This record gives sequence, C-alpha cells and structure tokens, in this order.
Amino acid sequence: MSNTITASGPLTRWRTIDLLTCAFLGVAFGVAYWAWGLAYAVPSNAVSAGFPPFSALFAWPWLVAGIVGMLIIRRPGAAVFTELLAAIVSALIGTQWGLTTLVSGLVQGLGVELGFAAFGYAVYRWAPLLLGGFLGGAFEAVYEWYSYWTDWGWGYKVSYLFLLGASVAVFGSLLAVGLTRLLAAAGALNPFPPGQEIREQRAV
Amino acid sequence: MERGPEHVDAEAPVRSGADVRVAGLTWRPFGRSRPVLDRLDLTLEPGERVLLAGPSGSGKSTLLRAVAGLLLTADAGDLSGTVTVDGHEPQAVPGSVGLVLQDPGAGVVASSIGRDVAFGLENVSMPRAAMPPRVAAALREVGLTMSPDSPPATLSGGESQRLALAGALVMEPSVLLLDEPTAMLDAATAADVRSVVADVVARRGLTLVVVEHRLDGWLDLVDRLVVLDASGAVVADGEPRQVLVEHGESLAAQGIWVPGVPDPQPLALALDPAPDAAAGRVPHGRVVAAASGVRVEHRSRRLGGPSRTTLAVDGADLEARAGRSVALVGPSGAGKSSLMSALGGLTAPTRGTVDVALPLTPAETGDRAAARDRLAPPDEWSSTDLARVVAWVPQRAATALVGRTVRDDVLTTPLALGQDPAVAGRRADALLAALGLAHLAGADPRQLSGGEQRRLAMASAVAHGPALVLADEPTVGQDRLTWAAVSGVLAAARDEGAAVVVTTHDPGVVDDADRVVRVTAPAQPPPDPEPERRPVLARVGPLALLGAALCVLPLPALLDTWRQGLAVLAVELVLGLVGLIAPGAGRAPQGRLRGVLARLAPAAVAVLGVAWSAWLLGGRDLEVASGAALRVLCLLVPSAFVVGFLDPEALGDHLAQRLRLPARPVVAATAALQRLQSFDALWVELMTTRRVRGIRADRGPVARGREAVVVTGGLLVGALGQASALALAMDARGFAEARRRSWAGPAPWRLPDTLALGAGVLVIVAAVAARLLLP
Repeated sequence: MSNTITASGPLTRWRTIDLLTCAFLGVAFGVAYWAWGLAYAVPSNAVSAGFPPFSALFAWPWLVAGIVGMLIIRRPGAAVFTELLAAIVSALIGTQWGLTTLVSGLVQGLGVELGFAAFGYAVYRWAPLLLGGFLGGAFEAVYEWYSYWTDWGWGYKVSYLFLLGASVAVFGSLLAVGLTRLLAAAGALNPFPPGQEIREQRAV
Repeated sequence: MERGPEHVDAEAPVRSGADVRVAGLTWRPFGRSRPVLDRLDLTLEPGERVLLAGPSGSGKSTLLRAVAGLLLTADAGDLSGTVTVDGHEPQAVPGSVGLVLQDPGAGVVASSIGRDVAFGLENVSMPRAAMPPRVAAALREVGLTMSPDSPPATLSGGESQRLALAGALVMEPSVLLLDEPTAMLDAATAADVRSVVADVVARRGLTLVVVEHRLDGWLDLVDRLVVLDASGAVVADGEPRQVLVEHGESLAAQGIWVPGVPDPQPLALALDPAPDAAAGRVPHGRVVAAASGVRVEHRSRRLGGPSRTTLAVDGADLEARAGRSVALVGPSGAGKSSLMSALGGLTAPTRGTVDVALPLTPAETGDRAAARDRLAPPDEWSSTDLARVVAWVPQRAATALVGRTVRDDVLTTPLALGQDPAVAGRRADALLAALGLAHLAGADPRQLSGGEQRRLAMASAVAHGPALVLADEPTVGQDRLTWAAVSGVLAAARDEGAAVVVTTHDPGVVDDADRVVRVTAPAQPPPDPEPERRPVLARVGPLALLGAALCVLPLPALLDTWRQGLAVLAVELVLGLVGLIAPGAGRAPQGRLRGVLARLAPAAVAVLGVAWSAWLLGGRDLEVASGAALRVLCLLVPSAFVVGFLDPEALGDHLAQRLRLPARPVVAATAALQRLQSFDALWVELMTTRRVRGIRADRGPVARGREAVVVTGGLLVGALGQASALALAMDARGFAEARRRSWAGPAPWRLPDTLALGAGVLVIVAAVAARLLLP
C-alpha cells in the first residue's frame, strides 16, 4: 500500500453502501464469532489452566470485525459500528456471555476506533493498527477485570491486559489485513478505498 | 380480476412518464483502462418503452444505473456527461426513477412485505397513518394478495420480483428501470411478471427501460429496441422487429436469445477418461444411486421468533442410472433441490434410505476399507469418499469456486483424490479449452463474469470423472453460449457413464433428458387452529427487554460472596420464570424453558472458566470459586430469558424513535439482520461445496481452523455482494438522503415495558440488599 486512499467525499458523510457494508460485515462476523465461541472454549481453558491470563491468546479474534470494518470503510465510527453489530448478532444467536456481549463490542470497537482517530483517519498502515489493536484489547481487558476477573490479583490483571492488547495488535491486525486483502482481491471492495488501491496498482 | 384499472385509480393517482436525456455519458470504473460507456447519447420520450440489448459486458446495467442516478452508489470511477429525467437530476425527487434488479429478494429490507413496500414512503417522511392505503394499493396493483404481514422469505421468485415492483411503484415513479427482471425465473413465472409489468406500465403511462438477454417475451411489450455493442456504443435503435431483421444474427452470435433464431446445440466435448474415475464403474443403464421414501426437513430460525420446520420432501423416490440423465421438474418450492441433495448425500434425510451401488461405496473405492462404510449412507461418507462419486453444481456458481486460479479450481478435486497430476491436468486443459476458458486458466476465478463462472463450475464438477453429477438449475440466466457449454458438459458426463440429475424449468434441458420426474410439494402439516398464548416477555417491547437484561451490569461490583450471588440468582430466576408465564386462553406455547436452558448451556463454559481461575487464585478455596461462578451466572441468566424475545426490526424502531439514534445506521443494521438466515444458508452451501469437492477438513484443528478462515472469507464476499445490491435497491427508493425519515412501525411504551424495566431494577435492588444483609 504505497499510496493510502481515504474514503470519498467528506469523511463523516457515510454513503448507503458504507453503512450497509459495515452492517453486513457485522452480521457475518457475528455468525463467525458465535462459531468461534463454540470452538475456542476447550483450547482456551486448557491453555489457561496453569496461568489464567493466557486465555487472552484465544480472545483476540473477537476484535477482528472492528479492525476490518475500519480498514475497509475508513470513516469515523466504522470500527464501533461493525464491532457493536457483530457483538449484537452473536448475542442474539446465543453466546456464553449473553447480552453483556454488547458492552464488550462497544469497548472493543472504541479502542480500535481511537487508534485510527489518533492518526486523523488518514493512515491505514501498521502504526494505527498496532495502536488501535492494543487499545481495543486493553479496553476489553479492563471491562473483563471488572465483570469476570474480580478475584484476580494485579499481577494477573496487568499480564492479561498486555497479553490481550499485544495479541490483538499483532494477530488481530494480521488476520484483519489478510481478510481485507482477500476481499479486495476477490473484487468485493471495488467501491471502497482498499479496492481502489488494488485496482490502481493493477490499472493498465 | 381484482386489480382492475378503475379500482386502482381511486387510490394511486396516475402520473405519466418522464422524458430521459442522456448526453455525453462516459463512465470508467477505477482500474479499467477503457471506459464502459463512452460519450453515450440517448433520448427517451415520455411513456416510451425501450428494450436494451447487447452482449454481456456492453454496459447495459451500467446505463440503467446511470439513468437511475446510482452509478456511484456501489462502484467508484470517473463519471462525466449528464443524465436528466424531466429536466432534473434523476434522484432529485426520491423514487421518481424506480429500479428492479435481477436477483429476486436482493432489495428486501424488512421482515414483512407490507413494511418492505413502505420503505420508500418512510424515506420521504410520509406520516405513518398515510402509509397503509398506499401500501395496500401497490400490493394490489402487482397482484400480491397475501397478508401484508407475510414474511418476504415465503414468497416465490416471481412473487419477490412483484414485491420489488410494488416497492418501486408506491413511490409513484415516472420512469421504471428493470435490470434482467426475469433472468432468474422459469418461463411461466417470467411471463407472469411480464404481464404485471405490461399492465402497470400501460395504466400509468410510465417510461420503461428493460435490460434482458432473452428477448422473446418482451418484444410485444416495447416499442423500441436499442442495441449496444461490446464497446458500449449504440449500434442499432428503432422499431424492435425491424432492428432484429438487421441485427438478429449478430446478437444471437454474441449470446443473446433472439426469437426466431434456432436454439443452440449442446457443445460437442470429447474428453479423455479421468484416471481412476468413478464414472463407468457401474454398467450403463444400471442404478448408481437410489433414494426411497426420503423425507427432508428444513428448519428455519428467525431472531425474536419461533423456529419453523417445513417439509421439503416427503416420501419421495428417485433413481439415477449410469449413462442416463434425469430432469427433475415442478414448481419452485416443490423440493427438487432437496430431493437431489438427499440422493447425493449432501443432506441427511430424516426418513427413508439412500443406496449407492456397491462398486462405488467407500469400502470398494475409498482409502479406508471398512465394513461399516459399505453400509453407511452417503451423507455420512468422508469428503474424499463423497467427492470421488458425487459432483454438485449449485445454482449460484460463485459459491462453487474454491481455487486460486481457474486451472487450480478445475484440478482441486482430481488432486484431492490423488489422481495422476499429468493425466488430470490434460483433461482439465481439454475441458477449459472446450468451454472457452483456456485463456483465463491463470486468472482469479472470482474475477470472471457470471457466465464464465458458471462454465468453470461445470468443468470443475466433472474434472475427476464422478459417477453421479447433480446440477441445480444449471441453465437459468445463461446466455446462448453458456447454455451450449453447460448442456455439452452434462452430455459428456453422461456419455462417459455418469448418472446425471438436473433440476430445471428449461424446456431445452428437459428435451435432452432421458427421463423426466415431476416433483410436487409435500402437503404441509396444517397449522394449529388454536392460537398459542403469548408469554409475558413476548408482550414487552425490545428496548425494555434490552434494558432489563443490561441491568445486571452493576452486579460484579455489588456481589462479593457466594451467598449474595445465590440470593440474586434466585431473584433473577423467579423474575425470569414469571416472564415465561403465558396467561390467557389458547394453546400453551411449547419449549419455553427448553429455550432458556439451551441458551444457558454455553454460559456453563464461561462460568467454569471463571470459577477455575478463581479457585486457582483464591487458595483453592471452594467458597471463592463458587462465589465467582455465581457472580458470572447472575450476569448471564437474564439474557437467557430475554434474548429469544428480541425482534431486531422492532428494536430498530425503538432505537431510532425512542432513543433518537441516527436513522440511517439503524435502518442499515436492521436490514442486515433480516438477512441473518441467508448467512446460515450461505455457510451451509460453502461447506457443502468443500465437502463434495473433496477438500472438507474432516479432522485436525489446524486444517479446520484454516478452513474456517477460508469459509469466513467466502461468507464475507457473499455478504459484501448482498450489501452492494441492497445499497442500490435502497438508494433507488430514496434512502441516500433519508437522514430524517418516518417509521412505518410504531415504537410504543406500554405497561409491560415499565414492568420489565422494573424487574431489571429489582435485580439491582436485590443485589444491594444482599450486599448489606448477607455475609
């Protein structure tokens, strides 16, 4: 991505397709989250049996929706909208956290959003990805300290925060960038900046 | 006939058509070196009815979107020139240019057909009370006589197209644009849709532009035929019959179905046999697979409503014989696809048996010769065992693509089955050459056109020489060239000894089949006449339900010990059970508690994880662990009671009207939630494709993880495709500028809402009391 293309028109003026793409991404990720919720419990519990904060290593996929939404739409609010909707959908289908998943979705989306806002919604490379990913993970960790890990000592809590933040920043960003490239290569992102970047590279 | 003109006139004021002027229109999508449309000029007089024809890629759909003022809605590029409708920009008056798209149901935004038709009226802020008569008139005009509360998902393809038409007509357009409106419909249904269009256009005097590559039915309905060539230039324009006399031959050669030109012949394919092919193991004329007395059930789950089980097939028999083809015919919804899937082991029948000829069972042909596999029905076979025998081409060719390049895609199954790469490669290349895809062998299959993808899907299905070839509506929406290719591949598979089964409405395919089986829809069990009583929770609005369930959020800060947790949990359970009580007269609703328990089952995992870590940390003290477990349970139990009663559409109405959240994001979110069911279907289709292609990950966490990522990618591609089609349909109905809009659905706050929220607050009060009173 040598030339970063930002969204067309004023950044806050969402087109219908921006809204719908975020919404459909949110619903699709909600289904995927629900499936991941069924699959991840056993390995997560196994890995974290000795050192509970290791469960962070299996929690980073929950933040991918917001990152992908932001990477594609590149407008303020994209991460919060996509992540929140994915959380709602997975809660409506039925996750282990019920409707409190909404709060997780909100704080995760906010964290990712802040990372990109810090760069004025103008940069879509590693710096905002790492920052946003870390903040998203950190916000979620703080919410979980409060709601689930009330019995943990500070050593565990801080380890969990850094483990989750770092794994979202690294693994979450990698998966999100990979998915975005896959979608762009499939021609599914033509109306959006990442699709235009690919097309401009290939343009004859 | 109910929809007589005089009847409609009373309610829907008649407007005449507008003139359309296109001047110097140039459109180059980003990434294409040459424009799709280059300085195009076209003038349509008011009330003129125009059929737009041309080879695929000639820019017909692009022109239609330009006339609707929606070119930049779902694509990005350089646009110049002007389009005016009665002298204004096309979208200056929302809904003045109506657009109906090819895919029935692509533009559905709501959970009931009445609400769907009202969408455009909401966007122009019509008061709610004025909507029902307008909606009823539009539904009547297109001949949809069912209740406005019917869900769009229950409509057939033709009815869905008429619903889309009603959604456009309710806005009182002066120009109607139809983008291949009947391409995905069978001949009888297409004729039905055309006659409704003819009625409406004649009555209202609308300016009409139709894009279609099957010209026959439309010619009597239009008074002008405009032909575009591959470069997007107008090459012929005039009285339809006259234009056809001059250009009919060349249009037919480019793939357009031109009346009077004889139907194409199936493409002649001579293929070398695949190495170790399953085709030919069963002697010609003998049974390859037989289904007897099968029943297939579909369970559909709707958010915020009960799940429904429909009977797709009941007590049906079907035999497929080597070297013979069977055409399954019958009305849409008769269960043709389901019966075919059951025969090929793609779905498990709930009753009846499917037998595959012995020389083809895994014990004979598979890697793991085991006695039980000999008897196992095909729906239990492993992916490679199934792929060796069965090939399946779904109706949507795009979901059948699994390779990175066109050639990889064709070779996927042969290589998964361990066939000799050199021999399989030669066969693949021969197939690609015969189907006109050789020059695309290195291309990404997702970048191909629809017709090319369809041909590729056929090539990939038969590359490894399967013994049973299943094709779902293989010729629907195909131009002459693809039609010949698809029929040719099916004939070639039959000639090398495969049993071929197709579901079809296409008379050409039926004529070619050795046997025709008519499938009729099974009788559905009659709905219970006595209505179900509604639980208390079902009478609560969505906002109150959400609020009540989120009242648990302060609990972690309040609950310290297991006694406090237990007390609050008891309060929650009592309140939840009260919510499940269904007072009044009628039949008791079924499965209320079962639903709650099913939703609590995954919570057990979360509870265990938290309890374990608390136990580990809290000096291995059971009291600490159970305190932690109960605290988490208190967070989750209210949701388990409430979630099943949350209706996304009503939630959207409440969020926008009561909480004043921004209208457009709320509408987008609820529209996407309506499609949740289709994601389920898409997921199943993607997984079935992988299974029948021999690449389904049967075991191993790494393989399964990789598969999950790939299928999620496929799901996202499908989701984004839906989003762009829906964006077009919504903007054509005035959504682009609907920052302030009205709402067809009310968002009342009633006594049950207050009570539910009170119950939520009661949980907080109980927690405070427990903290103060209990140790």
